[in-house]
Amino acid sequence: MSDSKTITLELFRYHPETDSEPRFQSYEVPYDEDWVVLDAINWIKDYVDGSVTHRWSCRMGVCGSCGMMVNGEPKLTCAAFLKSYYPFPVRVEPLVNFPVERDLVVDMDGFMEKLRDVKPYIIRDDVNDTSQGEYRQSPAELAQYKQYSMCINCMLCYSACPVVGHEEEFLGPAALALGHRYNKDSRDRGKSERMEVMLSNEAMWGCTFVGECSVVCPKHVDPAGAIQQAKAMGAQEYFKRFVMPRGAGTKGAGASRGAGA
Amino acid sequence: MSGQYHRSHSRAWFLERPGYIRFMIRELTSFFVAAYLVVLILTLGRAAAGEAALAEWLQALSGTGWMVAHGVALVMAVWHAVTWFKAVPQAMPIFIGEKKLDAPVAAVLMGYGPWLTVTAGVVWWAVR
Amino acid sequence: MTTHQHDVIIIGGGGAGLRAAIAIAEENPSFSVACVSKVFPMRSHTVTAEGGAAAVIKPHDSLEDHIYDTISGADWLADQDAVERFVNRAPDEMIRLEHWGCPWSRMADGSVAVRPFGGMKIERTWFAADKTGFHMLHSLFQTTLKYGAIARYDEHFATRLLIDDEGRCRGCAAIELRTGTVRAILGKAVIICTGGAGKAFPFTTNGAIKTGDGMAMAYRAGVPLKDMEFIQYHPTGLPGTGILITEASRGEGGILVNKDGYRYLQDYDLGTALDVSDPRHPQKRSMELGPRDRLSQCFVKEMWAGRTISTKDGDAVHLDLRHLGEARIDKRIPFVRELARSYAGIDPVHEPIPVRPVVHYVMGGIDTDANAATNIPGLYAAGECACVSINGANRLGSNSLTELLVFGAEAGAGAARFAMENAEYNLSGLEAQTADERERIRRTYFSSPAKSGGERIAVLRGELHEAMESGAGIYRDADSLNATCTKIAELRERYARVALDDRTNSFNTELTAALELSSLLDVAQTMAHSARERTESRGSHQRLDFPERDDDHFLTHSLACHREGAEAPGIEYRPVTITKWPPGARTYGADSGLKRKPAGT
Ligand SMILES: Cc1cc2nc3c(=O)[nH]c(=O)nc-3n(C[C@H](O)[C@H](O)[C@H](O)COP(=O)(O)OP(=O)(O)OC[C@H]3O[C@@H](n4cnc5c(N)ncnc54)[C@H](O)[C@@H]3O)c2cc1C
Ligand code: SF4
Ligand code: FES
Repeated sequence: MSDSKTITLELFRYHPETDSEPRFQSYEVPYDEDWVVLDAINWIKDYVDGSVTHRWSCRMGVCGSCGMMVNGEPKLTCAAFLKSYYPFPVRVEPLVNFPVERDLVVDMDGFMEKLRDVKPYIIRDDVNDTSQGEYRQSPAELAQYKQYSMCINCMLCYSACPVVGHEEEFLGPAALALGHRYNKDSRDRGKSERMEVMLSNEAMWGCTFVGECSVVCPKHVDPAGAIQQAKAMGAQEYFKRFVMPRGAGTKGAGASRGAGA
Repeated sequence: MSGQYHRSHSRAWFLERPGYIRFMIRELTSFFVAAYLVVLILTLGRAAAGEAALAEWLQALSGTGWMVAHGVALVMAVWHAVTWFKAVPQAMPIFIGEKKLDAPVAAVLMGYGPWLTVTAGVVWWAVR
Repeated sequence: MTTHQHDVIIIGGGGAGLRAAIAIAEENPSFSVACVSKVFPMRSHTVTAEGGAAAVIKPHDSLEDHIYDTISGADWLADQDAVERFVNRAPDEMIRLEHWGCPWSRMADGSVAVRPFGGMKIERTWFAADKTGFHMLHSLFQTTLKYGAIARYDEHFATRLLIDDEGRCRGCAAIELRTGTVRAILGKAVIICTGGAGKAFPFTTNGAIKTGDGMAMAYRAGVPLKDMEFIQYHPTGLPGTGILITEASRGEGGILVNKDGYRYLQDYDLGTALDVSDPRHPQKRSMELGPRDRLSQCFVKEMWAGRTISTKDGDAVHLDLRHLGEARIDKRIPFVRELARSYAGIDPVHEPIPVRPVVHYVMGGIDTDANAATNIPGLYAAGECACVSINGANRLGSNSLTELLVFGAEAGAGAARFAMENAEYNLSGLEAQTADERERIRRTYFSSPAKSGGERIAVLRGELHEAMESGAGIYRDADSLNATCTKIAELRERYARVALDDRTNSFNTELTAALELSSLLDVAQTMAHSARERTESRGSHQRLDFPERDDDHFLTHSLACHREGAEAPGIEYRPVTITKWPPGARTYGADSGLKRKPAGT
């Protein structure tokens, strides 16, 4: 640790067993310019106050655990360097638009359900036997969906989205982008099945294209773009159903299996 | 679990992030675009009613108040168009093989390019 | 009593656990599968794997070459029947994952692309740019969402295996983090897929969750931990953070140079340094594409010779990628660029990256046979927590991700069979064990009187780290290992006085940190003791006092066995299974390309 410089962290504290309202607690933390906000929180937990509660694991921006509001911005705390805030205090809160479990930990269950809803898996009846080798997919076909497959489920976009904040049912940027990811995968045949969910009112049309999800996304997924494309695709799908009410697209086997259990 | 803490939303949520403000402005500009459309439709109506009616209407539109309104509407429409052109590459990505066209290039190709071409055409037609 | 019953219980939601879950859901649709994980599955550490996953797919490759590379890479400590099974099943598993949507990088003709990797004679490592583990994990996780039969217990921390009166494993006790409730999660068979234990060391590529919990649980229940002395150091981690710069960067042609800009690997029997513009560069099984144990050892020797670069985070060498050019870097290893830029402030397109060896992978683990079964009936293990063993004394990069699939599926099948044949168990005994466990946790962590005078988790953990790094690192000897063993004994004794600030129930992550530390203390102890007893050098286990490989005495797996009441593990040995590939000299560089025929074929 370099000399004796310090930085102040103001942590959002809330304990479901004892508190009815949250409060902020300040901690002086040694300042190291290589440290990220997460390091500072870990230092507090290790050496000052073991009751501080937060999630983290990889510390390299890929597991998606450590999203929090840092001075009001949704951030991966393992990618937010103290040096970009020093010497001013850093205020850390749990991601907004989610219920708070405890301190910096939010309830993710809603998202986990929404993710399941968009059927984020390959749907097709004619599954090849592995002895036939891999499905062919050209680099150009891969590029069609690759960007949307980069989502680490960090939930920063949900915290940046005003629609998520106001409509609980809204599937939200990441879930919709992942649905779109499979719709664009040349190996998939489940588009119409998936679209059924995505087309439902709360889902996609709830998006007013504020676009902040794409601004905060640390992995450049561009969920806002994905949703607009999905809307266009959805309009086509509507039209298709209108002109040929039966047989628009194929039904996959996977989903019906899942639903039965 | 009842112990969870739910944060409430401020009614002025749209002031919370610069991006939200930009969004609100974008929505606002569409009001001006719509209002100008109404003016255009009225103009067409006048034109249908005969040359004299149109001349009278155009005369009215050249008053100072209307000129200011036109100016404002123009700024708003341009702003609105710019936000659209920014969005177009996101909503309609163009791929050349496995490479996605860079957003600025796509915006020029699908937005600014056609826009300027049409505008130039109109200007040419008007001053001809 | 909160009891939950299923057919098969899987502890761990990483690559191995999810593969096992899908295997059961596909093959036994009527079964209910529980997946218990201390983090949401997609947070599991598989997510960080970058470089790729090996499986023979291209016509110019052969299963036999993959087998030979793996066995020689393992310094002949791998069980050859297990390696054969692994290599034979790998392609099938990888294609299956392709069918499930994994976005593999592709060739122009649409077939999957492969890249060279360390210690592999032919390029056979499938990759999804340099986020292979991320894409594999998310593809697997998203695929599990298809199956309603897979019940998830997310953010449930397993603390103990539950064994019935007949000695069969029937579930686990787990703390639901949200409420602090200790639940009995019961099934007819159990699979442990809890990943590695790199967090026993201070400087590691491993995330916070890799604390060897499953290894410790199995060990305490009576399963030996096998080959725990073999810890892999990856040669290229960022100094300071330990963030991994994937081997794929060398597979793509990156080179390692010392402070004089010299490719020092050529001085250590790893081949000749071809110019980077030579079309034959990078040469497989040679130089930068030598095995990880060798490369990490070369670093230490360079450091001893004073030829490394000193940085504020310790000594380093340079990984130079500049000659690859921006386009190739962005296409094939974009994450490397992103990581180096944000965490080291270096753009590899313009500057070399300082790197140093970093603890990466535990070759050892829960002793299983080639069917992923342990010595406890009904208990299976797969993934990094298990030791089958295919990795022996040194794992080849990109074999591990494939191992998750092959042995995850294997464990799923085995557990399902066992569950079918052993359906009946006595509930009350298992619930009683859970009640005991609940009481033990309360007593140990919540009822110690004063915080003052108590031991702090971070302090104990820090001292453990120091002991492991100084005594059980890349090079060890009797003195260093003795000191480490002594220190661990002291820490275990002090752990009895561990004191928590937080004695509440909901989301008590200080409690889980304490439980993780206790796992680490057990696992680290088996590492240090196994290392002390193995008086030879092999693969990643290098004894300064016994520098030679000793096949006469140590062509054996070490088995660290928990002994009730004893302070330290007992170390036993079991011969390595050698089928067709008798131990030979482990050569890399010029003569490594020689084709070796297995004996007797
Ligand atoms: C940075 C990095 C890069 C790597 N790159 C490669 C590569 O390119 N190629 C390759 O082949 N290998 C690579 N590896 C190795 C490989 O990624 C790992 O060995 C492998 O992913 C481990 O998978 P797993 O399923 O066994 O465990 P993990 O993915 O670690 O999952 C463990 C699971 O167990 C759960 N768990 C643990 N303890 C408990 C508990 N007490 N209660 C409940 N649940 C628990 C966790 O929640 C988690 O779900 C890399 C490793 C690292 C660290
Ligand atoms: S889309 Fe981006 S911000 Fe949203 S969850 Fe995924 S990675 Fe995070
Ligand atoms: S700790 Fe994994 S993303 Fe930050």
